[in-house]
Amino acid sequence: MSSAEATALPTATESPELQSTQVVPMWRQRWRIFRHNKLAVISLIFLIIITLACYLVPWLHPTNQTNQAATFNVPWNAPPSAAHPLGTDSSGFDELGRIFYGGEYSLTLGFLAGFITIVVGTVYGMVSGFFGGIVDTVLMRIVDAVLSIPYLFLLIALISIFGRSTTFLILVIGLTGWFGNSRIVRGDALLIKNLEYSQAATAMGAGKAHIIRRHVFPNSISNIVTVATFSVADAILFLSALGFLGLGIQTPQTDWGTMLQAGAYQLQNGFWWEVYPLAAVFILVVVSLNYIGDALRDAFEVRLIER
Amino acid sequence: MLAYIIRRIIQSIIVVLIVLFITFSLPYFQPHGIVAPAYVVYGTKATPANIALWAHQNGMDHPFLVRFWQYITQLLFHFNLGHSYKQNMSVWAIIKLYVPRTIWLALTSLILATVIGLVVGIIQASRRNTVFDYTATGTVFILYSVPAFLLSLLLIDLFAFHWPHLPASPPSGVAPWAMFTDPKGFILPVAALTLLSVAGLSRFFRGAVLEVLVQDYIRTARAKGCGNARVLFRHAFRNALGPIITLLGLYIPGLLGGALIIESVFNYEGLGLQTLNAALNLDVPTVLGITLLVSLLTVAGNLLADVMLGLVNPRIRIEGGGR
Repeated sequence: MSSAEATALPTATESPELQSTQVVPMWRQRWRIFRHNKLAVISLIFLIIITLACYLVPWLHPTNQTNQAATFNVPWNAPPSAAHPLGTDSSGFDELGRIFYGGEYSLTLGFLAGFITIVVGTVYGMVSGFFGGIVDTVLMRIVDAVLSIPYLFLLIALISIFGRSTTFLILVIGLTGWFGNSRIVRGDALLIKNLEYSQAATAMGAGKAHIIRRHVFPNSISNIVTVATFSVADAILFLSALGFLGLGIQTPQTDWGTMLQAGAYQLQNGFWWEVYPLAAVFILVVVSLNYIGDALRDAFEVRLIER
Repeated sequence: MLAYIIRRIIQSIIVVLIVLFITFSLPYFQPHGIVAPAYVVYGTKATPANIALWAHQNGMDHPFLVRFWQYITQLLFHFNLGHSYKQNMSVWAIIKLYVPRTIWLALTSLILATVIGLVVGIIQASRRNTVFDYTATGTVFILYSVPAFLLSLLLIDLFAFHWPHLPASPPSGVAPWAMFTDPKGFILPVAALTLLSVAGLSRFFRGAVLEVLVQDYIRTARAKGCGNARVLFRHAFRNALGPIITLLGLYIPGLLGGALIIESVFNYEGLGLQTLNAALNLDVPTVLGITLLVSLLTVAGNLLADVMLGLVNPRIRIEGGGR
């Protein structure tokens, strides 16, 4: 619309009919739709609270979580009491404090690994989809091959070869979890580069880098953000699975999966406080991430935006 | 149809070659590289001369590509997946011992999960936005977010410790098909893997059926006076079968991964438990051999799914695959 036409039309303040359809910035529009989903908002708030708690509680209210020698006077496997609201575990560490302490590792590793999967997956998928042809075929066959290796087996194989430091756990999940993401991004890139506006940009002499930066990437951001949420959930899940299998973070540090494994041995003795409170927190974190992902997908759905 | 199948087979072969390349090159990254097993074999006598001798005797000093070729031919013609120096057994012998148990576990659970998932999915799709739909969707959503090991723990705590009716782990040292002759010990692991698979599959099943229910031919069938059951099972189900088969094919890696965790929680002697123990013992050849095998199973499963898809879907059968 040219500026001459625009001035000729009634402005939003003059016409109440236009007011309802006035242009709302994209992100605010999406936030409106997201906000509409009460469960997702509750999930987001819960996730923020848990994340803050995991980072702040060990610092504001420190409990002994690493010094085995200092647990000499503490009863082991003690049921919940005033001194230990969620009891103690089989090493005498305070269970409530340990949930936050382990959460710090689980969440940090999950977020970092999820972040790596989304960055690598996006770049790879963009290149594959945008350049197409032989590049696409080669890159996608590699993705097919890696995705046909059951993921948990791949992780276990890599860990048995490279060892398992905290850094390596982030890297191994981050650098192997992106293959599925790249497929989704590649599909978007393939679609968008053939749309009219991309072709118009090409016709006007725009370079490939420019088109990726200004057209393909911004228009596939919706899928990328959604996939990122699920990637973090997956990273936390797989990290905890590795921890549970005894391949996670090494003592004296711990993460939720490793804690649940330790608690599992105590379940037959009836020491429920070593499993269930943490299990509830853990499941809620993953459920929240999944709900947020679902709500984001709705928020970015163009058909819903235009209602 | 034939052209479609041939094309899919060629694609699968390429994928298998890449997988082979990955599992072949990974041992080069071990702390001692590909001669790492020599340190296990010689133990304290691992002098440089001994290591060099071992490398020479085992053909480890050949160039990379020659070794890769030997790796492929050994696998193809001798089922040679390598040798476990920790257990002093060939990896193939280990696999032969444990693969039937994993396959029975995975297959039984997959069949149960498919039946349950389909029934739930069809009811959900046909009674969309009812209490049943919401309840089922919510349950599946939570089930989907519960990690496999927690679900298994919960089942063990409930049915083995709290109400001690079922054993927490299946009997060991029994025949692979003991699941069917003496099922009591196998109920919990199979139930766990079934529940997990229902969670992984049913929302896609619901989607697949929904997609079909909005098609014109369904409306036509209803307009012609077709009953609800007939529409669902004759018209909708048969057309939804294609996506469902594809989904089942794509689910194989998830199924095997789930089986790994469930085997480790329930101490079920299968491939997964074996992989885990090998990994904890740093027995790299065993881990990689089993990983290669499950990948081959996955590729074969996907290929089978696509061929079946071609058989049930006339559009692919006639066009020769214009995907």
